[in-house]
Amino acid sequence: MPAEHLARWLSAQWGEAVAIHGLKRFHGGSARQTYRFDAVAASGRREALVLRRDPPSSLIETDRLAEYRAIQCFAGSAVPVPQPIFCDTGPEAFGSPGFLMREVAGGQAGGLLEPDPYGAHAAAIGQQFFTALGLIHAADPAAAGLPAMAPADAALARLAHWQAALVADRFQPEPVLDAAIAWLVGNPPPPPARISIVHGDYRSGNFLHDGAGRLLAILDWEMVHPGDAHEDLAWACDPLWSHSSGRAGGMLPLDAAIAAWEAASGLSLNPAAWRWWRVLAQVQGLVIWISAAREIIDGRSHDPVLMFAGTIPYRFHTLTLARTLDTL
Amino acid sequence: MSLPLPALLNAVAAALANEVAPALQLLGQPEAPDANYAGGTAATAAMILMLAAAEAAGGPAREAAAAAAARPLLGDAAAGRDNRMAALGHLLAAGDRRALPLLIAEAEAAYAALGLPPPVRVTGEVTGGPA
Repeated sequence: MPAEHLARWLSAQWGEAVAIHGLKRFHGGSARQTYRFDAVAASGRREALVLRRDPPSSLIETDRLAEYRAIQCFAGSAVPVPQPIFCDTGPEAFGSPGFLMREVAGGQAGGLLEPDPYGAHAAAIGQQFFTALGLIHAADPAAAGLPAMAPADAALARLAHWQAALVADRFQPEPVLDAAIAWLVGNPPPPPARISIVHGDYRSGNFLHDGAGRLLAILDWEMVHPGDAHEDLAWACDPLWSHSSGRAGGMLPLDAAIAAWEAASGLSLNPAAWRWWRVLAQVQGLVIWISAAREIIDGRSHDPVLMFAGTIPYRFHTLTLARTLDTL
Repeated sequence: MSLPLPALLNAVAAALANEVAPALQLLGQPEAPDANYAGGTAATAAMILMLAAAEAAGGPAREAAAAAAARPLLGDAAAGRDNRMAALGHLLAAGDRRALPLLIAEAEAAYAALGLPPPVRVTGEVTGGPA
């Protein structure tokens, strides 16, 4: 990471010489490179900042500005997010497209393989987590700069998105995935009551908490898009993110999670839509893991995070989706 | 998925050479870029290598068992992961659900080889959720 890019840009913004201290890359954030550092000015001004920028290769091709606009949309609201500072869609400021935000002090995230990352605070954090999701879904997509969408298009647009990714990246027969997609195509869900802001990767591991029961920030908005709120809910409640607990996100019983979401969103769970989106969540996961594996196989990346995605989550979702097919 | 072992091993070697080693050389220096990432990279790479080793040890037996289970339904097409998956996929697409138990069993065996806790259903008093 070229610290001189950061120092040059911040010096111009602050109007005084700025030095960069403690620049370190986080291990996490598969679709972005994430760094934290302290910016220290000659006057003594000091800020702890986080940079997210595009890597040469990532799990998911995403819109540079969309993530930043979504964070801007919720900054200062009841949905906790990091404070956004600046986005550059070119390489000038950060060496590659990316954006800057203030560090969320004292935050910790749950790891995928941690058995009980939230401990005694699971229920309290879960209540805030699913309430925040409802608040996101209650917001106007136009406020986040998202394009308009007809409710009838929401489900098949997402299915088409993942089908296209699968066509691009598949490298071996995937009968379970193909059968699930055929079911999704043949059994479209009812359209949502309204189009919502869909975070796109709302799950355990993509938020920070303070270790004492308080949700600090919802992170990783790079897959934000307009759509059906059931999409986020189904992804957040997928067993992959439950830490083997049987609880939604490893935090709340499913009915309690849905009740929190309904109360905050003003929406009601539609059982037919829920059934469809839970299958779609597993299809989405599998396609992401296949794309990750393809990056490695083709030699475009040597990031172990992508190797991990192509092995453990891949097998998890192949198994859960195969079992799900047996219930359809 | 059969782990693409040569690709994985090459990728791990490249990761260690290109990301971890330079960063580790910088460890101990407060300004070291990527030092935190190096730790995570090394840990993940080590896990991948362990998986690759387990795959090399147990994969052939699993493959043989899956082929033997599928042979009564698929005949010679049961041999080899891709042939078997393609044949089972054709049956499923044609509405023949006898393929499904074979696919589930194979997915269960592949997941069990990871040595991780089994998937647990996320359930509650909500109707309509299959997963």
